Amino acid sequence: MSEVPDNLSYTSEHEWLSLGDDGNAKVGITDHAQDALSDVVFVELPEVGSSFSKGDSMAVAESVKAASDIYAPVSGKIVSVNTKLEESPELINESPYDFGWMVTIEPTGELEDLLDSDSYRELIA
Amino acid sequence: MSSRRTPLFSNHRDLGAKIVDFAGWEMPIQYTSILSEHKSVREGAGIFDVSHMGQIFVKGPETIEFLSYVTTWDMRRQKKGDCRYCHILDENGCIIDDTIVYTISEDNYMLIPNASKISKVFDWLLKNSGDFEISLNNLSDEFFCLALQGPDSPRLLGQHLNTSVGSFQLVKIGDTIISGTGYTGEKGCEIIGPLSEVTNHWESLVEMGAIPVGLGARDTLRLEKGYLLSGQDFDGNQTTLETGYSWVIDWNHDFIGKEALMEFKKKRYPRLRGIVIEDRGIVRPGNSVFNNGNKISSLTSGSLSPTLRKGIGLAYLDLDIGTPITVEVRGNHLNGRVVRMPFL
Repeated sequence: MSEVPDNLSYTSEHEWLSLGDDGNAKVGITDHAQDALSDVVFVELPEVGSSFSKGDSMAVAESVKAASDIYAPVSGKIVSVNTKLEESPELINESPYDFGWMVTIEPTGELEDLLDSDSYRELIA
Repeated sequence: MSSRRTPLFSNHRDLGAKIVDFAGWEMPIQYTSILSEHKSVREGAGIFDVSHMGQIFVKGPETIEFLSYVTTWDMRRQKKGDCRYCHILDENGCIIDDTIVYTISEDNYMLIPNASKISKVFDWLLKNSGDFEISLNNLSDEFFCLALQGPDSPRLLGQHLNTSVGSFQLVKIGDTIISGTGYTGEKGCEIIGPLSEVTNHWESLVEMGAIPVGLGARDTLRLEKGYLLSGQDFDGNQTTLETGYSWVIDWNHDFIGKEALMEFKKKRYPRLRGIVIEDRGIVRPGNSVFNNGNKISSLTSGSLSPTLRKGIGLAYLDLDIGTPITVEVRGNHLNGRVVRMPFL
């Protein structure tokens, strides 16, 4: 059974999002997503300062067998990226909601179409 | 075509395997993780259900002459109990499939074609059997094949069946054949026998500590050793010479495709070469290969090497060992180099 923390927001593309006090959104992939992907062996992260529209592919997580696009859950500008993932992509498997975070985004658009933990649990049930 | 399952399907599912379609079969791609399964074969012992692979039996007084004619190897050189890796070619010298030929006895041989090529190989053998005094029997639906691979596998085989087998040798226990063969480059064996016995073999070996390994790690294990994947590294359009496997050809006998190969040998041709990526990143089959800024080829195989922790791949290239190349992945060019194979 995948872990789905109550305090996060989710997308149907299996990303999680956590809004900080500064208004920036921290983004990663869910426990369910990392399990489906299996061993993450390479992560391609966006450049800090680059902008994405909601739904754009902003990063790639690769397992031995497949490459998976990670989509921007909200329009905005990349404020920081988790550079630890370059050397240790397995953090996404080991700690998807904590050490395995991928980017923080300064939202320029509305936070919408996000799922709460109950709805996300239903989606992956 | 509906998917087929081996008798171990429920075992795989109970072990938590992720199941994929492979050549029309629902097969486990991984049980826990490709990286850990890969490692268990390199360092311990892994067990693979490869019952989707074929078993074609050739019997009769002219079996040796027939198999020498339809493969690149002269079977007169085989002794009872020998296994031989070779290619089955068409008249143009192009590979129909690669196979291991088992000499069970002088007039009883077995071939192991790849799952996707069983009927193609069988039809080809039948078509070319002509006046040879032989009989052909496709028993692929009646036999299982388990591969026990890794440095610890001789010990497990001894514990399980109280036997041992040399590299590219076979022993027969009743209707079951144990051969010192595999697709991982490690010590190990393949056990081939009647389907009804597969569950017993599988469960005993897993109980003894063999780690179930799926097709995902099977692919990374074979790629690190530079072994060809049928349908991918050759697809009916390449000769044995281009694959770099000319050692499977015994030129001192007549076989289908020989004349074409003799002609082919006279010209310059690209060969399947290994490439190692020096930049961070993973290459995949189909990625374009560039030299001096020009696209020159595409990868037939590509993956992360779990052992080297680098991207590795295969491509048909007319380049020397050491030549720098780049591989295009999602618009980025990753730097790499042509290397000598195997990768490890």
